Amino acid sequence: MHIGGEVDVRSAYCAAAVASLTNVLTPALFAGTAEWIARCQNWEGGIGGVPGMEAHGGYTFCGVAALVILKKEHLLNLRSLLHWVTGRQMRFEGGFQGRCNKLVDGCYSFWQAGLLPLLHRALHARGDAALSMARWMFDQSALQEYILLCCQCPAGGLLDKPGKSRDFYHTCYCLSGLAIAQHFGSGDLHHEVVLGVPENRLQPTHPVYNIAPEKVVKAVMHFLQQPVPGLEAAG
Amino acid sequence: DEIGLIPCPEARYNRSPIVLVENKLGVESWCVKFLLPYVHNKLLLYRQRKQWLNKDELIDITCTLLLLNPDFTTAWNVRKELILSGTLNPLKDLHLGKLALTKFPKSPETWIHRRWVLQQLIQENSLPTVVNKGNLGAAPVERIHRLVQEEMNVCSEAAGRYPSNYNAWSHRIWVLQHVGKLTVKVLLDELTSTKYWVSMHVSDHSGFHYRQFLLKSLIGRTVNDDNTLVRNQMVNEQNPSLQKEEEGQGAEAPGVEEWNVDISRYLEEELDLCTDLIDTYPGHETLWCHSDETFHNSHPSPATSHMAQAMDVDGLNESSSKQGYTQETKRLKRAPMQDSFGPEMEYRFVDKVLSTCRDVDQARFATAYRKWLVSFLGQ
Repeated sequence: MHIGGEVDVRSAYCAAAVASLTNVLTPALFAGTAEWIARCQNWEGGIGGVPGMEAHGGYTFCGVAALVILKKEHLLNLRSLLHWVTGRQMRFEGGFQGRCNKLVDGCYSFWQAGLLPLLHRALHARGDAALSMARWMFDQSALQEYILLCCQCPAGGLLDKPGKSRDFYHTCYCLSGLAIAQHFGSGDLHHEVVLGVPENRLQPTHPVYNIAPEKVVKAVMHFLQQPVPGLEAAG
Repeated sequence: DEIGLIPCPEARYNRSPIVLVENKLGVESWCVKFLLPYVHNKLLLYRQRKQWLNKDELIDITCTLLLLNPDFTTAWNVRKELILSGTLNPLKDLHLGKLALTKFPKSPETWIHRRWVLQQLIQENSLPTVVNKGNLGAAPVERIHRLVQEEMNVCSEAAGRYPSNYNAWSHRIWVLQHVGKLTVKVLLDELTSTKYWVSMHVSDHSGFHYRQFLLKSLIGRTVNDDNTLVRNQMVNEQNPSLQKEEEGQGAEAPGVEEWNVDISRYLEEELDLCTDLIDTYPGHETLWCHSDETFHNSHPSPATSHMAQAMDVDGLNESSSKQGYTQETKRLKRAPMQDSFGPEMEYRFVDKVLSTCRDVDQARFATAYRKWLVSFLGQ
């Protein structure tokens, strides 16, 4: 994660996200990375921090998103991953838990629910005929209910679960999750499900980078116009 | 052996806020808002080269800081420098970390630093002339064993202080992989010593995941090439060279079959444990998950071997684990799998649960497990 720091799947995602947006992504830079991430998928179907670890929502998102960027999603067992993540939506609360047998947490609205657009895309690319053309494979309304009814702080901001205090991290990821739950697809194939009043509608977010899709396009275009730095420049 | 904060919003008496009772250190809360910024500032000034601190002062200041906030990476890094320069005994940091974890059992930076320290100690240990930094003059193997045991204790304590403590259990796995070298002995010891703990923490998914890790590592260890038995028995603290493994290969072949039988026994015991706990504590998803997976492992098919192989936890490179694949499936199939915990028993167990349970969640898990059994065994 930083020099002398921890090594886990998050850094692979950070590196892949930055490299792809700034147009410095080369096969050499990520040689072996995709295979290493695939080894982080375990018997539960989800992905852990490093090979051997327990499956965890945050790490799973980072792993899958990194593989999407590297175009190597097929290295994973997508079926067991789908089974694991869909099992993480809580039937009573509507929100998601980070790991089996743990409590619901607003931030997993993004880390977990955000996996479904990625999986949808990967399965679609494989020619899966059973995929919906209107909905993600999780209960979008139930998630929105959890976020809107349980995760808002009356003074503004969002949080983990009722009783917790607000913070920027939870505000960011509850809102990101809400955006995912409200918007299916993109472009021509775009379906919206907005719970409550129309004012609840958020702008869509890019499922890989979690920034506005237009911003992703802008960033990519911008860096494409820059000269790519040679290796010597990285002194 | 433990630290804590004593809620005490005002300094009523003119006395030190430090309280030491029966080897437990308490700090009255009122002083933290003075103490923490003071030491924090001192350290930052040192780092910015605006104010010098000698090594004793550095040790004291970082120690104080880390007991108040162990996620302060800079403080740990200062101690890394002190260790590397030889002025600080790495064992002290293990002790400091252990203390910090009594109050902050999740602290990521504490666990990360701990792994760095252990790596330093392992490297030291593998040098031909080992420098005794305050260690007792024990043999290298004994030292490693003690380190591993201590880490297991620290992890266990931290796991008890916070439910499903991901960082503690991850660290435990890391220690077995990198310090314990996943020897059969250490895996079996851990299987025994964690059995009681998981029975007392039936919703702790991390605890049960750890047992899956142990069982899978055992499967990997005993069903892989003969090479691995050499490593187990010699408990070699150095990374065995490829040459050494090849030398030992022929001699250990007879041992493989006896380990195979044991694996079935451990898996069967695990299923028994699951069954008991599921009966005793209805409605815990973790127990069903664990049961699923254990059953899965006792009846491997080519499809599941892929997953088992993908779970290669001992860090071998990709090509060697893929080579092990076909040998692994062949040996698993040859091993005498007892029918006593076969499908019939599982169906009977599930049906019994369904007919007698009153817990809604338990019924749901049992139904799902039954469906899964049908589809899995139908293959």
